[in-house]
Amino acid sequence: MLGTAAAWAMLALLGPTALTLVAGASWGSPAASGGKSLKPPENVEVSIIDDDFTLKWNRRHESVRNVTFSADYITSEMDNWIKLPGCQHITGSKCSFSLLDINFYENITLRIRAEEENSTSSWYYVDSFIPFEKARLGPPEVHLEAEDKAIIIYFFRPGKKDDSSIWGMDTTGFSFSLVFWENSSQVEKQIKTNHYTYKIYNLSPETTYCLKAKARLLLQNRSGVCGPVYCINTTVEHKPPAPENVEVVTQNQSYVLKWDYEDRNVTFRAQWLYAFSKLIPGDNSDKWKQIPNCENVRTTYCVFPQNTFLKGSCVLRVQASDGNNTSFWSKEKNINTEMYYAIFPPDISVKSTSDSMRVFVTALKDPWNKFYPFIYEVIFWENTSNTERKIVAKEIDLTIPDLQPLRLYCVKARWHLLQDKWNKTSAFSAVVCEKTKPGASSTTWVVIGIFALLVIVICVVKILQRCLKYVFFPALKPPCSIDENFSEHSFGNLLLSTSEEQTEKCFIIENTQSVIIVEETDEIDEDCKKYDSQTSQDSGNYSNEDETLESQISEVLLQQEVLSPGPIS
Amino acid sequence: MANRCILQIALLLSFSTISLSLSYKLLQAQQRSSSLACGELLKQLKGKPEYCLKDRMDFKFPEEIKQPQHFRKENAALVIQEMLQNILDIVRKNFSNTVWNETIVENLLVELHQQMDSLKTLLQEILEKKDITWEDTMIIPRLKGYYWRIRRHMKAKDNSICAWTVVQVELSRNFSFINRLTDYFQD
Repeated sequence: MLGTAAAWAMLALLGPTALTLVAGASWGSPAASGGKSLKPPENVEVSIIDDDFTLKWNRRHESVRNVTFSADYITSEMDNWIKLPGCQHITGSKCSFSLLDINFYENITLRIRAEEENSTSSWYYVDSFIPFEKARLGPPEVHLEAEDKAIIIYFFRPGKKDDSSIWGMDTTGFSFSLVFWENSSQVEKQIKTNHYTYKIYNLSPETTYCLKAKARLLLQNRSGVCGPVYCINTTVEHKPPAPENVEVVTQNQSYVLKWDYEDRNVTFRAQWLYAFSKLIPGDNSDKWKQIPNCENVRTTYCVFPQNTFLKGSCVLRVQASDGNNTSFWSKEKNINTEMYYAIFPPDISVKSTSDSMRVFVTALKDPWNKFYPFIYEVIFWENTSNTERKIVAKEIDLTIPDLQPLRLYCVKARWHLLQDKWNKTSAFSAVVCEKTKPGASSTTWVVIGIFALLVIVICVVKILQRCLKYVFFPALKPPCSIDENFSEHSFGNLLLSTSEEQTEKCFIIENTQSVIIVEETDEIDEDCKKYDSQTSQDSGNYSNEDETLESQISEVLLQQEVLSPGPIS
Repeated sequence: MANRCILQIALLLSFSTISLSLSYKLLQAQQRSSSLACGELLKQLKGKPEYCLKDRMDFKFPEEIKQPQHFRKENAALVIQEMLQNILDIVRKNFSNTVWNETIVENLLVELHQQMDSLKTLLQEILEKKDITWEDTMIIPRLKGYYWRIRRHMKAKDNSICAWTVVQVELSRNFSFINRLTDYFQD
């Protein structure tokens, strides 16, 4: 810290004269300036309470009468030392100074020296400090105003009232704590508020009440000292009395302001104020605005549109008038418009299976979904019973398990906002009912039945196919007589046998002139004729090949193949 | 018995942490939407930027907030509240001034107040728990110094239309810095 001060001094002294530079450099040791040995003051301290800046020091020349002290200051935004106003040629050991138009949030350095006629001591440099950090909070100023059953307290933050105060930039950051008691009793009540105008209600008329207050800067974690005790008497009971129990509810996109009042021969009016006005010091009585439709009403309620105030926090109050006299204002009712915004109920759709039901709920709409986490509550019941079951979920798609098949179930749902101050809940959605699908056991039977039917159908088709095949495409079986001839060969061999043997057979038939055989085996005969006409070994191969194709090839196909030159050569 | 007590405390602590982290998430959403609304409202205030170029000034916004490197969410909340308070204090000075449309200024004040109100509860909790490291709050004087320079400029320019135009632009930037700070609410 000392180093900082010295650095400051060096920096600042670059501009001024060389003489001061020498004095600055020789700081700490008695300087011989002007030939006489004059010592700077010691134990120099700065104290700041609100806008009262005080510099204190110890003199080293008690015996010397005509020594005076003068101080300079410099801030990081300045190039030169400036004489500290209020601290020039001081004969005592302290001075009060004021710093006009300086940035209280920047470092400031002070220096002080002793002066006597033409000689001066060296400078004593005070550790640099940030005035705002060093300043302590004094008590707030309090003005009181009495009604019959209430006291209005007007707070004024500590320090000078204008912006030049060290607290000039903390006006909205102040809060006040009060200790309040009835003069004749010892019971104290603690009150905390960050409003510049505060009203204490439910008091007795013609009674003395006292209070003391202290200021607080929440963000700076700074608490002030308690101020003096202020006392005030409440007035005699006023007629007509003020309306009581002011309440606000919403109805069809409108606000309904209600209050209690016994006497019916009065008219009422109601006003509103944005709550931020309470953070602004001074009289805000002219900031109150008339609530539309709430002027000269004879009922103990009035209805006004929701767009009267935009959003945010508002304060409402009501007053009664009997024609000649007006009552005091009612207790102020604080409302937050957000509290009255409606959340519309969700839309739901359902899809059921035999033992469960899927419920889809539309998502929560703006602006609620942006801010608040939410859950929804689904209530379902069987149509015939009265027992409702509840499910709370976060997802917009949920399944209700363990239902009975083929029963009618009904569902409704609503939103719950979490974490909002008012635990807001939407109305219930329309009720949606749906019958569950047939049970799981019958489904199994249906599946089994279908399967069995399928098997039967397949069997029938197979049998039918076989019959048809038998009728239209009977299996090739040579007659017994031929079979005998081939007895030495197996049937398979016959099919696979070479054409050589077959052609031989053909020849045999021709040569033996066995008419019966020829007639009986019509097809073979034809084949034989063709083999005959071809009279070639190759053609025999062909015919044999056709036979291995198993199915009975038509005449045309056969001829085509016979005529085709490809395989023969 | 002692074990059960410890268990209860542990449970309580974990729940309070959960609830606090949830409310930070909520706050982040609220602050962002509110900053957006404030930015929009500031835009609607008709300044005269083209005439006021010569009045532009560097008010020296603290670099450590402009480009936040490491912020604890508690300190971020503190800095945001300090900024909102100062902005509200500057804007309210224009409340009865004829330079700007009164309704827009009023709406801006409502929005700022709402934003401050939502932070207040949390800050009280933080301050009661002494969750603030005061060494980190050395940033606050620097921040206040910045707003002091803005006010001095307005005073020097006698609250002229150009002074307010410059302030309007400067405050718009403030809301983007606030948005950046709300990122720390997620940690």
